Amino acid sequence: MSGSGSTPGPDPAQSPAPAPATSLDAHVSPDPHHGLDPHIGSDAVLSLDGVGVNRGEAEIVHEVSLEVGPGTVTVVLGSNGAGKTTLMDGIAGVAQVSSGAIRLSGRPIEKLPTYRRARAGLGYVEQSRTVFRTLTVEQNLLVSRSGQGELDRVFTLFPELERRRNLQAGHLSGGEQQMLVLGRALVADPRVMLIDEMSMGLAPVVVRRLMGAVGDLVGLGISVLLIEQFAALALEIGTRAYVLRKGRVVYDGSCAELRRDPELLHESYFGAAPV
Amino acid sequence: MLNSLIAGLTSGGVYALLGLCVVLTYRLVAVVNFAMAATGAVGAYVMVSLIGVGVHGALALAAGVVAGAALSALVGAILVRWFGEHSERTKAAVTVALYVAVMAIGLRVFGSATTGTRRFPAPLDGPAFVLGDVVVPVSTLVSLAFAALITAGVGLLFSRTLLGLRLQALSERPTTAQVVGIAVPRLAMAVWAVIGGLSTLVIVLVAPRLGGDFATLGNLITTALAVAMVGAFRSLPMTLAGGLILGLLEGVAVSLSGLQADRGVVPFLVILVLLWWRSRNEVWDTAHTR
Repeated sequence: MSGSGSTPGPDPAQSPAPAPATSLDAHVSPDPHHGLDPHIGSDAVLSLDGVGVNRGEAEIVHEVSLEVGPGTVTVVLGSNGAGKTTLMDGIAGVAQVSSGAIRLSGRPIEKLPTYRRARAGLGYVEQSRTVFRTLTVEQNLLVSRSGQGELDRVFTLFPELERRRNLQAGHLSGGEQQMLVLGRALVADPRVMLIDEMSMGLAPVVVRRLMGAVGDLVGLGISVLLIEQFAALALEIGTRAYVLRKGRVVYDGSCAELRRDPELLHESYFGAAPV
Repeated sequence: MLNSLIAGLTSGGVYALLGLCVVLTYRLVAVVNFAMAATGAVGAYVMVSLIGVGVHGALALAAGVVAGAALSALVGAILVRWFGEHSERTKAAVTVALYVAVMAIGLRVFGSATTGTRRFPAPLDGPAFVLGDVVVPVSTLVSLAFAALITAGVGLLFSRTLLGLRLQALSERPTTAQVVGIAVPRLAMAVWAVIGGLSTLVIVLVAPRLGGDFATLGNLITTALAVAMVGAFRSLPMTLAGGLILGLLEGVAVSLSGLQADRGVVPFLVILVLLWWRSRNEVWDTAHTR
């Protein structure tokens, strides 16, 4: 782990809103894994090897290597501007990968266009609740449904969406829109789901509901790569964690270790232990 | 007067079709395409040139539609490949540049009003029926039916088919559409090609009435934009209505001896009035939000 000097800031486990993160802790099922999954590395569903990602001409993410094991939640943490979303965009094909290799179930995908990565089994829940606002709930699901994907599976996970299936997505609440984006990714029958900051701007009770749904996805055999602003909450449901700083991986280890050692988490975020 | 109104209605159907092409391009690929009528004119000229060397009319029409579709797809490819992430203004500016290029090349290849006017076939100019003492030509009915068919058909396509849903998704959030597995570049290119083919058909329909020189046909984009503005670049039924109104206004202008020579100004007047009306609303809204 690198330790270049940065100004110490607030406790990242509690950032950006300490109170909600703490209040949510008690409602999330504890992670059964306390060490690294022994399967990771041998049969990773998604693996990155020395990946660089550009925004325009500038490389924002540098030489990132990570793995997502089958049926696990892998967490990516880091302060604002660390390159988390750029990394997700690079994996999904929205941002340009400048170097390295990305493999989905062993198959290289870094040269595929975005839609072919999606068809290969990569679901992406982008930031900002990207529903198709003029389409109804049902139509939002239909546009991304693959051959095997069933709408019923989404409605079982989120019954509130079934009650609003004929309502335009633009008229849903923020939480319902986020459920719809998750459901839309689910009907495409993905092997891996990338989830970027789905709690942004949502009430704690809704975040709790959505985190429960992430656990349900794992129960369906879907692997998850999760970026989450509530670090403590993400570490509770995750198995393996990576911390990014200035576009590089500065921590690669277990979520349990970061949970046990807040100073380590803080140092990973900011490069120095709290004063 | 009634004769002029019937003639105006014929033009109105065609104007509506041109406006619908502009609105569809904008709604589906978020581009105000200034090169649309020029690409259609190229297709129409390919058709009439092939007829000139003895190719059968139907075959020449098919070749013209393919040529218009291919040229429009090329315009689309340039926009998708190099300007996909740019703003709507930049994309519109690119189509203006392409319009200038297509017009310059078209005039060079096909000739100007004095050197290259062609005689377009007019198989639909025969009488359909007589209204009072005015003969209503088949072309009037065909253009009106074609415009109504496009309006209703696109409405049904959007609401009833998976392709329509995907087109709407593409229109609303192109990046997210790709993220959910929609082949956006391919779909966008298909939209450009279909619009190009459709534009060619519309230009072929209107060319016999307008004289058949390349500049006049390519410059029909002014009329198309005026009609699209009536529908606010969004509403297909309003665009259809806008085309018909514009045609009727032209018909009225033709029937009045003092205005006959100035009928070409009608689209500009419509654009000016709509711009004034919309800016008036904005001023009103701004005043009320302060």
